[in-house]
Amino acid sequence: MIRREILLGAAGFLAGCNSRGPGWASGLLDLAESRNERVEAWLLRHDRMDRAAAGARDAGSAFPAYHISDRAPVWDPALRGTWALEVGGAVRRPLRLTLEDLARLPQVTQRVNHYCVEGWTAVATWSGVRVSELARVAGLGPEAGFVDFESFDAGYHESWDLESALHPQTLVATGMDRRPLGPAHGAPARLHSPIKLGYKSVKYLTRVVFLPERNGGYWSDQGYEWFAGT
Amino acid sequence: MRPRHHPVVRITHWVNVVAVLVMAGSGLRIFNAYPAFARKGEAFCCWPWEGMKAPAWLTFGGWLAGARNWHFAMMWVLAVNGLVYLGFIWLHGEWRDLVPRRGFLRDAREMARFYLFARPDHPRQGKHNALQRGAYFAMPIIGALLVLTGLALWKPVQLGWLTALFGGYAWARYWHFVAMLLLGLLAVVHVVMVLTTDPYSIISMTTGRYEERWSPEARNARPLVNLRPAAVDPAAVVPAAVVPAAVDPAAVVPAAVDPAAVVPAAVDPAAPVARHESRGQEDR
Repeated sequence: MIRREILLGAAGFLAGCNSRGPGWASGLLDLAESRNERVEAWLLRHDRMDRAAAGARDAGSAFPAYHISDRAPVWDPALRGTWALEVGGAVRRPLRLTLEDLARLPQVTQRVNHYCVEGWTAVATWSGVRVSELARVAGLGPEAGFVDFESFDAGYHESWDLESALHPQTLVATGMDRRPLGPAHGAPARLHSPIKLGYKSVKYLTRVVFLPERNGGYWSDQGYEWFAGT
Repeated sequence: MRPRHHPVVRITHWVNVVAVLVMAGSGLRIFNAYPAFARKGEAFCCWPWEGMKAPAWLTFGGWLAGARNWHFAMMWVLAVNGLVYLGFIWLHGEWRDLVPRRGFLRDAREMARFYLFARPDHPRQGKHNALQRGAYFAMPIIGALLVLTGLALWKPVQLGWLTALFGGYAWARYWHFVAMLLLGLLAVVHVVMVLTTDPYSIISMTTGRYEERWSPEARNARPLVNLRPAAVDPAAVVPAAVVPAAVDPAAVVPAAVDPAAVVPAAVDPAAPVARHESRGQEDR
C-alpha cells in the first residue's frame, strides 16, 4: 500500500506539482516539523508503555507485510554466510551476534500494537532482545546520540534518536506470535517497537550502528516524519 | 460605531476558515491511505462504508506524507487560534451571544417553522437567531473534540491515557472522523445560509460594519427570500437630520412618500436606535 503512495507522490512531483506547495510553504512545513520533533522528544517517557487491548484480536495472517525489494528478501547462508547482527559505531565493544547469540541474551515478550503511518493498527506478540540490552552489552560511547538500523532489503534503513531506541519496548525481535519470525515479517530478525510508526521498525536487520548524528531513513528522506513517535 | 464583531473575533474567524479547510483536506488524504477503522484481522461495527475513500478533489497535500506535513503543521494554528478565540469571548463576554438561552428549543423550532414557511414573520432575536446560537455553540465543542482525539491519534502511546479515554486508537480515529463530518456539516450549512439568507454578514465578519436594515429580522429573510436591505417602515422613519451619514436618505425614504407627512413631530428620533439597543440588552 505504502509503495503505491510513493508512486503517486512521485507522479505528482514529475507533473510539476510539488505536493508540499510553493517554496515558502515548504519552509514553514519544515519549521513546523522541527518544532514537532522537539515536542515529541519532550513527551517521550521510558515508562509509558503500549499494551494491546485485552479484547483485541491478534492480526495473525492479516498482519500486513511489506518490503521494498520486489520479492520478500531471504537471507541465503550459501551465498552470504551465516546471518549475524552487527552492533557497532559509537560503542566500546562492537558485537557480531548470531541468532544463537541473540537467544542467549535476556528475552522480552510483549503483545502490542503496530501503528502504521497509513492509519491502521495490528496486534501481535513480539519476542526478542531489547535494543537497550544490546547497547548495554556493547557499551555506548559518549558521542552516541542516534542509532541507524540497516537491513538487507535493498538498502532500507531508518535512523532513530537514542532515547526512543533505548525505550524498553524497542526490541530486536526474532519471534512473532510465539513462532520464529517468517520471511514476510523480517526474518531472521527485525526491529519492532510500538513507540514509533511502523516504517521506523526496520525488517531484515543486518546492522545496528550508534552514531553522533542522525542518518535519515528510507521513508523519512522522502518526506515522511523522521521522528515519527507514537 | 461599535463594530458588529470585535476585531479578535473577525481575525480568528478567517484564520479558522483557512486552518479548518487545510485540516479537513489533509485529514481526508490521510484517511484515504486506510479508509477504514477496523484493526487488522477484525471487523468494525459502526461504519458501513469501510474501504470507501473520500473523493480526491476534497483532499489536500497530494500524497500521504505531504498531507501529514500539512496536518501536523496546521494543527497548531487551529488549536492556538481556537484558544485565542475562546479565551477572548470568555473574557470579553461574547460567549453570552452563543450559549443557548432558556426557551432555546422553542426558539429553534419557531426559527425552523419560519424557514419552512409555517410562520410568516421572522422571530424576534438578539445578535443571532436560535439556530445560529445552537450551531455556533456546538462548533467550538466539536473543535475541542477534534483537537483531543487528534492528540490521542498523534501520541497513542505517550498520551495513552487520552487514547484510552476515547476507547483506544481505532475508536479515537472513528470519533476524530465523525467529529470532522459534524463540523463539516455545520460549516456547509453555515456557508449556505450566509450566501442565501444573510450575505451582509460577510461584510460584518470582515470589516465589522453592520446596519440594522441588513438584518435578516428586518428583512424578514428566508433562504433566497428578501435579500435586499429592508425598506424602512414609514412609521419608524427617522428625520433626515438624524439619519446617519452612511445611509443614503433617498434610499431610506420611499420617493412616493412625502417625508414631512410621515414624520410626526412627536416621534422621538432616538426611538429606533433605542429599540435596537434594548434588543441588544435583552440578548445579554
